[in-house]
Amino acid sequence: MPIDNPINAFELAFPIVQCIHVAGFALSAGTVAIVDFRLLGLILPQRTPAQLLRETALWTLSGVILMIVTGLLLFSSDPDMYLLNFSFDLKMILLALAIAFNYTIHRRAVQSSPSPVTGKFVACASLALWISVLFGGIFIGFSPQVLGFKA
Amino acid sequence: MNSFTQWLQATGFSMFIRGSLYAYPVILALHMVAIALFGGMILMTDLRLLGWTAGGLSVSDVVDRLRAPKIAGFIFAATCGLLLLIGNPEKYLANIFFRIKLVLFVLVALHALAFRRGVYRQAAELDTAPRMPARARLAACLSLLLWFSIACAGRGIGYIVYRPD
Repeated sequence: MPIDNPINAFELAFPIVQCIHVAGFALSAGTVAIVDFRLLGLILPQRTPAQLLRETALWTLSGVILMIVTGLLLFSSDPDMYLLNFSFDLKMILLALAIAFNYTIHRRAVQSSPSPVTGKFVACASLALWISVLFGGIFIGFSPQVLGFKA
Repeated sequence: MNSFTQWLQATGFSMFIRGSLYAYPVILALHMVAIALFGGMILMTDLRLLGWTAGGLSVSDVVDRLRAPKIAGFIFAATCGLLLLIGNPEKYLANIFFRIKLVLFVLVALHALAFRRGVYRQAAELDTAPRMPARARLAACLSLLLWFSIACAGRGIGYIVYRPD
């Protein structure tokens, strides 16, 4: 017996979950960005990047979990559309890279008090990855299948 | 006002943002980038004022020393928002979520004024406080509520404005 997916049962469910998805993104990418901006020497010179990482790590993880849980709910509303959506596929690859980078190279570099050049390189790579995930997310909604154009 | 929006809507720049396949999503994505980068700082500020951080950041760090980058992020977000508005002024101004969002920004300004003396200009005193006073926690809760509402209103705008034909 088919069970209705609640996300498709109420018109408002999808946009509400999307708002929480955005909040999860602001929490995860936003807290990573604080560490990255510090590595770039832009903010909080009196704190070390490692201190800021300790301070934000739990919130970054909370944001990542919130983002993935709500993302799965959004995905479940129309899995075929998402899987066939090039922006979505690209976003998933970039997200996997961003998370892997964050918990390996990024973390290790921050904790080992990197040289300024290494620190800046890692920060730029991290920001570029998270920003590209965000671009992928926005472009899901602007791809031909979603807009109803003939591809 | 009405004739101004009609004139704006008919400018080549407005038509470019509206008509280009990429201009709108790219500006929107940049708007979201600003929200993510600057939203994280607001979140950490509010979490610090609630006392929910590890304690390595002081109130002066998040309130005083992050003030300039937060303002820079806000200007970046607002510029992108303004470009989106220029691309479709008549639809935005008539949009209920857009109006709600403007009201929420007025509330943000009032919030900043209301807690200016008790919280935001008292970071050094709050650093040495044994526990966060109720007014600081209230300021943080309201800030979280306001900014989350602004994000939701923003999401709502897109549901009405960007309906492809």
